[in-house]
Amino acid sequence: MGQSPISPAIAWPAKSTQVPKEIFVRQDVYAEEIKRIFHGPEWSPVAHASEIPNVGDFKTCYLGETPLLVARDEDGGIQVFYNTCSHRGTQVETAVSGNRRNFECPYHRWVFDLKGNLTACPLRPDDAVNFTKEKYPLEKPRVAIVHGLIFVTMSPEAPSIETFLDGYEDKLLNVMGGDGRLKLLGYHKLQLNANWKTYHDNDAWHAPLLHLAFRMLNWQGGKGRQFANDRGHRGFESALALPKGQTLLKDASLIEYRGGNLERGSCSLHLFPLFSAVKHLDTIGLRFVNPSALDRTDIHYAYFGREDDSEEMLRHRVRQSSNFLGPCGLVSMEDAAVFQRLHVGSHTPGMQVFQKGVRDEYAMPVEFSQNDESVNILSWEYYRKVMGFAKEAA
Amino acid sequence: MSAVDESILRAVDELQVRYIDALDRRDMDGWLAAFDDTDASYILQTAESEEARLPLALILDDNRARLEDRVSFITRVWAGTYQEYRTRHFIQRLDCRPAEAGLYAVRTNFMVAFTRLDLTRTELLATGVYHDLVAVEGGTARFRAKKALTDASALPHYVVYPL
Repeated sequence: MGQSPISPAIAWPAKSTQVPKEIFVRQDVYAEEIKRIFHGPEWSPVAHASEIPNVGDFKTCYLGETPLLVARDEDGGIQVFYNTCSHRGTQVETAVSGNRRNFECPYHRWVFDLKGNLTACPLRPDDAVNFTKEKYPLEKPRVAIVHGLIFVTMSPEAPSIETFLDGYEDKLLNVMGGDGRLKLLGYHKLQLNANWKTYHDNDAWHAPLLHLAFRMLNWQGGKGRQFANDRGHRGFESALALPKGQTLLKDASLIEYRGGNLERGSCSLHLFPLFSAVKHLDTIGLRFVNPSALDRTDIHYAYFGREDDSEEMLRHRVRQSSNFLGPCGLVSMEDAAVFQRLHVGSHTPGMQVFQKGVRDEYAMPVEFSQNDESVNILSWEYYRKVMGFAKEAA
Repeated sequence: MSAVDESILRAVDELQVRYIDALDRRDMDGWLAAFDDTDASYILQTAESEEARLPLALILDDNRARLEDRVSFITRVWAGTYQEYRTRHFIQRLDCRPAEAGLYAVRTNFMVAFTRLDLTRTELLATGVYHDLVAVEGGTARFRAKKALTDASALPHYVVYPL
């Protein structure tokens, strides 16, 4: 993948269980990550089609610092544009979401339709040479849509979405509750005061230890398994076990499960570089995460119901999704607190070390049990290769 | 402004002061005591969600049991996992008018500064508007419903305590 311009070079340890702490806090590493990963040949989900269900619905978002505009066109198709006017580069749309018939740049009043075609422009025939409207549509990144999830890449070298997902398409379906027919319930948005890799590296071992709610609810996890692949993706699927004889909550509807089938009742998926999705109890959450600075990560948790949910089921999902996960959630508020501490602690020499589930300190792990943190090692190996960090000799 | 009796306004203002004082002292029992004993709700939501008519909230404690559970989250479940931070609430009543029987609809601006104890500076945690439904009985006011709508769509820090 080419030589890294990062200087001084990162000395990546020979042991597969170690990750250098400096990669979380070095500005040159961060700049190279934006180039090689977020603007490189990886795919990043930016929205789900159900967030913009009607013709003219749009959403703006970012990939690194690159502004994007996602819209539903007149034919019901999904369009993703660079959010910049084809004339002088002005940001075309500034609203976070809304509904429009066209997008107008206010600077010189160039108007684009929902497919990005330039449809109106105050230029007269004598004003310019060689100008035709056809030459100036809104530019687009590459787009792929999988069960409603909208992936983009800025790189012509990115492989097909099938190659990128590397067999994880069915896992994406599971975590979206069986199909991609979702209904948006709303967002939790949080600025995390930590490097993006800290967020993405959250492991399976911490859950019963950090999140005391599980212990206080006498809530043991169901039988489940973790999986990971060489493309940096990983995930978790488990039967849902419900707490027995809990006395912590006065309103037990917070942990009530109405989804019926307990099998695969709890799933999560982490796609390289930074997308994650979690289905737990009756919550379906897609997490659109973007690095906005070396030490800042913007997390937009989008929560969904299913298209065919009853009003009562949707209400239940809203009540559960609001209070169970997210920045004020019963079993997740603590994550943000720990990520902040991880970031501060990373400004020290040395390595982070993986322990739980490690069978061989040098080899890539091949098997993982339910709570092993070693599953994350495969994602780190993919990251190391993409970044071109050479491994030290054993 | 509104044709509400001075004694009502005084009771409403005293309630708001009791409420923010309890939060700034991290006194969760005091926070709970600002709400009606049997029927009350607290919702923390962004103005962006409200305007987009999206029902999800950051905190959706829509009955008395959930308010009591919120106190458990903070004092028991999360104990020892978060870094304590200091808050300072400032409020300004905008409007108070009679609503349904014996209740008053109150709008109040809020600004909450926060200070991480390991840093030397103070930052803004949130600004926004409280939309409250207040019951006044025997000169004492309590919240029947309190909704805090934040101006910003994202929080700059995790939120342990309600606003």
